[in-house]
Amino acid sequence: MTATDFILAGLVAVGAGLDRVAFLQSMFSRPIVVAPLTGWLLGDPMVGLEIGILLELLWLGRLPVGASIPPDDTQVAIGATVLSLSMESLLGMSGMPVVILCVMAAIPLGKFGQVFDRLARHANGLVLKRNKAFSSGSPRKLERLHLACLLHFALAGLATFGVIVGGGTVLLYYLAPVLIGAVREAGLSLQYSFTLVGAAVLLGLINISRGVSLFSAAFAGTLLVLWVR
Amino acid sequence: MRSGNAEVKLPRPMRRPLVKMFLRSFLLQASWNFERLQNLGFLFLLLPGLRSIYGEDLSEEILERHREYFNTHPYFAPLVAGAILRLETSLAAGQETQVDVGEFKKMVMAPLAAIGDSLFWGGIRPLAAIIALFLASRGSLWAPVAFLLLFNLPHLVCRGAGLVFGYFWGLRAIETIQRFRLPDVSVRCKEISIILLGVICAYLAHKGCIHQELSPLWGLALLPVVLLFAHSARKGISSLFLILVTSASLLGLALLF
Repeated sequence: MTATDFILAGLVAVGAGLDRVAFLQSMFSRPIVVAPLTGWLLGDPMVGLEIGILLELLWLGRLPVGASIPPDDTQVAIGATVLSLSMESLLGMSGMPVVILCVMAAIPLGKFGQVFDRLARHANGLVLKRNKAFSSGSPRKLERLHLACLLHFALAGLATFGVIVGGGTVLLYYLAPVLIGAVREAGLSLQYSFTLVGAAVLLGLINISRGVSLFSAAFAGTLLVLWVR
Repeated sequence: MRSGNAEVKLPRPMRRPLVKMFLRSFLLQASWNFERLQNLGFLFLLLPGLRSIYGEDLSEEILERHREYFNTHPYFAPLVAGAILRLETSLAAGQETQVDVGEFKKMVMAPLAAIGDSLFWGGIRPLAAIIALFLASRGSLWAPVAFLLLFNLPHLVCRGAGLVFGYFWGLRAIETIQRFRLPDVSVRCKEISIILLGVICAYLAHKGCIHQELSPLWGLALLPVVLLFAHSARKGISSLFLILVTSASLLGLALLF
C-alpha cells in the first residue's frame, strides 16, 4: 500500500460517507458496493467483495429513520478492505483468515462512526443557529450555508475512516500474530457466521407476520433439496 | 400526461426549474440537523421553483414559511415539493387554496416518511442486497452493479415521477400515491427477502456441512440458532454484540479443539 492508495481510499471514504445521508443516497455506500469498489481501486476487488459479503447483512435492518443513526458499516467496509490489503506489507499475511481478522478489528471501531455522525449533525444545527443568514439572509446565502454543511458529513466520514484504519492497524499489529492460528482453525464456520448472524438480525428486525414460518420453510426446503441433489 | 379529463403539458418555463429541483433533491439532507431536520434542505430544493414563480427577490414571508421544521423520506420529498410548487403557483395567481403550505407539509410529511421508510429501507433495500449477496457468494463482481440497479431504479423513478406528479396533481398527488398500495408492495418485498434469506442460510449451512464432511441434514441444527439470534435482535440485542460473542465462541472452540 502506497500513500496514493491511502489517499484514494480516503476519497472513497469521503464520497461514500456523503452518500449515506447528505448527498445522493444512491446506496453506493453499502458494504456490498463500496468494499469491492475500494478493493478495485487498490488492486484487489475480490478482497473487497469478500468483505462486502461478510458485512452487508449485519446492520441492513437498522433503518436511518428520523434522528436515529445506524452504525457506520460504510467506513467499516472501506477500513477493513484497506486493512486487509495493507496487512501483506505490514505483517506478510494474506488470505481469507486475514480478511476475517481485519473485519473483526474494524467492526467495534465502527462505533466511532455514530459519534462522528452525531457531531456532524450537531455542528449543522449550531451553524444554522448562529448564522444570521439562516434567519434573515438572502436565498443565495441560504444556499451557500446549506452546501457548506456538507463539509461536516465529509469530515465525519474521513474521521471514522482514520480511526478504523489507524486503530485497526495498531490492534492487528499486536493481535494478528496471536489470533491468526485460531482464525485459520475456525475457518469457514467463522466466515459464514457473519452472514448467518446478519441474516438472523435482519430476520428479527423485518417486521412481518409469518416471517419465522417463511424463513424456516425456505431454510428447511432448500437444505432438503440440496441434500437430495 | 392526463390530469382528470384535461390534457396537461409541462409549461416550458417550468421545465428548467423542475430539472434543477430534481437535481437538488439529491442534496436534500446536506444540512440535516437535530433541531429542524431537513428544513433548510427542503427550502434549498424548492428555491428554483419559487424563483420561477416570484422572481429573484423572494420576500421574507415566502422564505419564512419554508424555514419551518420539515422531515420526510428523502425519496418522497420531491413529490411534496412538486405539490407545494403547485400550491405556491395558485397563491401567486391569487387563487384560493384548500390548505395553506404549512398545513399541507404537516399533513403529508409523516405518512410519506412512514411509507418511504417501509418501502425503501425495509423492503427494496434488503431485497436488492440479498439478491446481490447471491451473486457475490458465487464470486461475481456484478453483485454491486446488480444491487445498485435493483435499488436505484425505483428510487430514481420515485424522485423524478414524484416531482412531476406532485406539480401536476398538487394535493391530489398524495391521494394518487395511496392507490399504488405501496405498503402492500413493501410487505411483498419483505416476504421475498425473508424467503431468500432462508435459501442463502441453507446454502451456507450445506456448504459448511460438506466442508466438515458431515451429512447436509446436520445443517438443520443451525435453524434454531438463527431463530434464537433473530429473537435476540428483536429484543434489542445489537448486531455488534451478537457477532462478537459468536466470533469469540468460535475462536475459543478452535483454540480448545
